[in-house]
Amino acid sequence: MKVLLVCSQGMSSAICAKALQEAATKEGYDVEVHECSTQAFAEEIKNGYAIGLVAPQIRHRFDVLKGEANAAGVPCLLIQPQGYTPLGGGKLLAQIKQELGEIK
Amino acid sequence: MFDKIAKFMDEKLSTPMAKLAEQRHLRAIRDGIIATLPLIIVSSMFMVIAFLPNSMPADWGITQFIAANQTKILLPYRVSMYIMTLYAVFGIGYSLANSYELDGLSGGILAELGFLLTIIPSSIPAASEAVTALAAESADLANYLAAVPSGFVLPMGNLGSAGMFVGIIVSFFAVEVYRFTQKSGFKISMPPQVPSSVARSFESLTPTAIVLLVVATITMFIGIDVHSIVSSLVRPLVSASDTLPSVLLIVLLAQFFWSFGIHGWSIVGSLARPLWLVLLEENTTAFAAGQAVLNTAPEPFYQWFVMIGGSGATLGLAILFAFRSKSAYGKALGKTALVPSIFNINEPMIFGAPIVLNPMLIIPFIIAPTVNAIIAWIALNLGWVNRAVASSPWTLPGPIGAFLACGSDWRAAVLSVVLIILSVLIYYPFFRMYDNNLLAEESADNK
Repeated sequence: MKVLLVCSQGMSSAICAKALQEAATKEGYDVEVHECSTQAFAEEIKNGYAIGLVAPQIRHRFDVLKGEANAAGVPCLLIQPQGYTPLGGGKLLAQIKQELGEIK
Repeated sequence: MFDKIAKFMDEKLSTPMAKLAEQRHLRAIRDGIIATLPLIIVSSMFMVIAFLPNSMPADWGITQFIAANQTKILLPYRVSMYIMTLYAVFGIGYSLANSYELDGLSGGILAELGFLLTIIPSSIPAASEAVTALAAESADLANYLAAVPSGFVLPMGNLGSAGMFVGIIVSFFAVEVYRFTQKSGFKISMPPQVPSSVARSFESLTPTAIVLLVVATITMFIGIDVHSIVSSLVRPLVSASDTLPSVLLIVLLAQFFWSFGIHGWSIVGSLARPLWLVLLEENTTAFAAGQAVLNTAPEPFYQWFVMIGGSGATLGLAILFAFRSKSAYGKALGKTALVPSIFNINEPMIFGAPIVLNPMLIIPFIIAPTVNAIIAWIALNLGWVNRAVASSPWTLPGPIGAFLACGSDWRAAVLSVVLIILSVLIYYPFFRMYDNNLLAEESADNK
């Protein structure tokens, strides 16, 4: 399963992507985490992602980004602030599981 | 009680305000300009190189080489940052067209066309025989003639930040014309026998014809100088953005949004970045011409002296968590957040500590950048540190970025270090209180 994190410039999301990747690997899930900037999101999300994850600090852009994700047939989720830290990988993973049901 | 007020403020004030910045035209400006930033950053490094001789011993070979070739070294800058509006306009047109679900490429090209129609080319005739004869007797005139091209030339002055606002307006006009012709059916239609590809090629002519005729009529045929009109309208705004009250307002707004966990800099920047670019480009141009650099607060001022380590000058807080934390959580956070903070990425700090909706840390989160801004403002205006003339990559560590942005002025690096130490001191009492709380919670959990 591929997931895509998006933040303003794809910088901080890279840190959280790493945390999420580690948490997922630790729990034995086959998840591939990528990150990108808001400008690149509309194109990138078309590349076979299971879900788009929007960083909490750009939640004012959530509606626009969700529209772009849904247009590509991908669900989109606003990350809880507690899940958007280098120590919050587990929380973010839990949030994804809650949204998608079980992870394949 | 605090939670309730915070929730109310977030739902009724900060989030709706932030959403205003998502208006499609503002978004187009933001995305169009952000697309030009790599170009501005890289080309302003040529500026740094060209003026290295100012900070190197004059008798070194490399110093003399650079000084002798300064004009040539600056040529890449002349065709990039110096004419950045030419690039930004394409991005604005592209982004706005995309937001209307129109073809971005066509939108970008139309916007570029509209903008270039405001720049009047002039034709320079070749030297006449009489002039050539005069030049034979005057070496000065001969040298001058050798430097003057003949044929059509495009004046570059308004292709840069001076033309930014005209560029924005014309891009909007061009894309709105495009949208109007596509959505209203006001376009050249062909009978059904005509192949659709041929029909489409005619359809695309309508917006181009309208943009070309309208803008050319205003600027070329009637001869209205739109650049001087718009710049006299925008000038007060540009000047106002370079005052201490505006700087403090910008800092407070950014911190206000971030206190709710919204990317304040991105929002404030959407509105202020065109003004910052004008301020920076004026500085760069003056610097390249060897004149006094006058603007204190283009974006690098905030990047390198106010928001060191990210919005809120949180590098100070990250240092404290990394080295002075007694709680296990604080130590773990400090360990992971310090390195990104050195490179000015502070979301781990803001959401990790968290600072968001945390009254204990929001106070220094607002005070530290405010104090930094005031001190840096004074230091730059007293001439202790050179004003920013280049845009260095924002992920550089503070002192290095400051050094490069201020035209390789080592005093800028010193100021950066002083402000980092100051932010450590400002955060310290609040950090101590908060870390003790964390520690108390941890030992309560362990019992």
